[in-house]
Amino acid sequence: MSAISTAGLTRTFGPVTAVDHLTLDLPASGVIGLVGPNGSGKSTLIRLLLGLVRPTHGTASVLGWSISSPAAYAHRVGALIESPAFVPGLSARKNLLSLVRLRGLRPDRVDEVLAIVGLAGRDAEPVKNFSLGMKQRLGIAAALLPDPELLILDEPTNGLDPAGIVEIRGLLRGLGESGRTVVVSSHLLAEIEAACDYVVVVRFGELIFAGPIAELMARTRSHIDVRAERETDTDRLHGALTAAGWAVTRSGTELRVATEAGGSADINRAAAAAGVTLSSIVIVQDTLEDIFLEMTGTTDGELADRRAAANGGTAR
Amino acid sequence: MTAVLRSELVRLGRPRMLAGWFGLMGLFAVMINTVMFGTVSAGSELPPGAPGVALPDLATLTGPDGPVAGVAAASSIFGVVTLSFWAVAVAGDYSSGLIRLLVSAQPHRWRLLGGKVIALMMMTAIATTVAAVVSMAVAVPSAQAAGISTSAWGTDLPPTVAAAWLNTFAALCVWGVLGLALAVITRSSAIAISAGVGYLLVVESLVARMLDGSSHWLLGSTLTALARGGDASLSYPAAVGLGLLYVVVGLTLATAIFTRRDITD
Repeated sequence: MSAISTAGLTRTFGPVTAVDHLTLDLPASGVIGLVGPNGSGKSTLIRLLLGLVRPTHGTASVLGWSISSPAAYAHRVGALIESPAFVPGLSARKNLLSLVRLRGLRPDRVDEVLAIVGLAGRDAEPVKNFSLGMKQRLGIAAALLPDPELLILDEPTNGLDPAGIVEIRGLLRGLGESGRTVVVSSHLLAEIEAACDYVVVVRFGELIFAGPIAELMARTRSHIDVRAERETDTDRLHGALTAAGWAVTRSGTELRVATEAGGSADINRAAAAAGVTLSSIVIVQDTLEDIFLEMTGTTDGELADRRAAANGGTAR
Repeated sequence: MTAVLRSELVRLGRPRMLAGWFGLMGLFAVMINTVMFGTVSAGSELPPGAPGVALPDLATLTGPDGPVAGVAAASSIFGVVTLSFWAVAVAGDYSSGLIRLLVSAQPHRWRLLGGKVIALMMMTAIATTVAAVVSMAVAVPSAQAAGISTSAWGTDLPPTVAAAWLNTFAALCVWGVLGLALAVITRSSAIAISAGVGYLLVVESLVARMLDGSSHWLLGSTLTALARGGDASLSYPAAVGLGLLYVVVGLTLATAIFTRRDITD
C-alpha cells in the first residue's frame, strides 16, 4: 500500500494553479524528499494531504484513506507545516501538553518527545525565549507526539546548527528504517541527498520526477575543468580540445570539457600535443543540486520565464 | 469535544492573558462604582450614562440591587473586554499559525470551535465573578462614603447576586460570541476588536438616533437590558430571546466559515 497516493490532484487559487494534475504514489516506509523551487506547490500539496485545504480537482489518499476524510488518518499522521507554531507565552511543556490533550494521548508522551529532540532540560521555558533552532526541535517534537506512521515535515532542519542537522537527519533516517514514512520538504538539497531514499521533484505544481534517489543520481554527469599554465595559451587549448571533438565551454581562463572522468588522460595528451601545459585538471561530478537546477530552472528569473512560457504568456 | 476543551484550557491558562482579562474587569468594576457613588456624593443627579455605560437611578442604588448595580451598569464595557479576549484567543491561533497544527490534529473543525467556545465561556464565568466580587467590595465603602443607605442591600442578597451574575454572564457570552465570529471572519484580533468597539461606540449610537425604536433590538442595548434583568426599553424575556438570537446567528456564521474555509494561514 502506498503511504500517499494522488490522482490528478489540482488546487487553484484564483488564476494561480498551485498544484496541477499531480499524480504520484509514494512508498510506505523510508524517507521521502519533496523538493521544488519557491512557489512550486510543496506547501499546498502538504496542506491538501492534511485536510487544511480542499482540492479543486482530483483525488488523493493518505495511508489508504481519502483526503476528504482527514479525521480517519489524523491520529496516524504527525506534521510540521511551514514554520513551527506555538503559543509564545506558554512553556514548551504546556504547548505540547495542549496538543497531547487535543489528540487524547498519554501525558508522559510529552517527556518522551522532548527527550527525542533534545529539549528535555528546556521544557519549562516559554517558547518566546527559544531560538529558531529550538522552536524547530519543538515543532518536530509536536509532530512526533502521536508516534505517527506518516510524518510530514516542512523544512525540518531550518535554523538548526550543523550538529543539530546531523542529529535530526539521524532521527529521520531512524524513523524511516523503523517502517514509518517520513516526507521531508526541504530546500537543502544536500540534506535531501543525505537523508532520503526517494525523491519527488515538483515545479509549478507539476510532477517533474518521482522515484528512488539513486535513480535520480544516476542522471548525474561529470565534467573536467582544465586551466592552461599560461593565460595566453587558453585560446589555443580551447581550439585543440574542440578540434579533438569535445564540447568545451569557457569561463574566464577555465575551460569546462563535457566528458566522463576517464577522459582526463586524453585531455592531457591533446593539450600536450598542442604545446599547452596544464596547471590544473579537475574532475567535477554533478550534484543533486545541479540536476535539480537543470530540472527546475537556475534562477527566479529563469523560472518566471518558464512559467510565463508554460502559461502561453510573455516572459518578464 | 472534551479533548478540545482540555486542550484549550491549557492554552487559555496563560497567566499574563488571564491577569490582563480579569485585571481589566476588576479595574472597570472599581471605576464604575467610584464614579457612580462619587457622583451621588457630590450631590449631582446620575447621568443616564455614556457609550458603554448605563448608570442606574438612585432608587436602584439604595435598593436590594445596589451592591451589584455597578456590574450591570458597566456591562457593555465588560462586554468589550470580553469580546476582545475572545477575539484574541481565536485570531491568535491564525496569527501564530497554530491553527494548522490544531486542524491537522483534529479535522472535525466544529469540535475545535465548540471546545473553544466552552473553554472561553468558563473563563468568562471567572471574569464575571471577578467583576461581581470587586464591584461589591468597592460598592460598600463607596456607598457609605457617599452617604447612601445600604440598609436594603442585605435583603435577599444571594438570589440578587446570583441573578446579577447570571444576567451579566449571559450578556458577556453574547459579546464573546460576537468577538469570536468577528475573529473567525477577519482572522485578525486587531480588526475584530476595532470592529466591535467601533460598533459599540459609534455605529450603535448613530443607528439608535437615526431609527426610532432601534434600541429594542440593537446589540448593545439588548445586552445592557439583559445584564440589568430587563429595562424600560426592553423586557427581560425579550432581551433573553434577542440575546439567544444573536448567539445563534454568531455561532452559525462562525461555524459555517470555519468549517468550510481553507486554512492558508
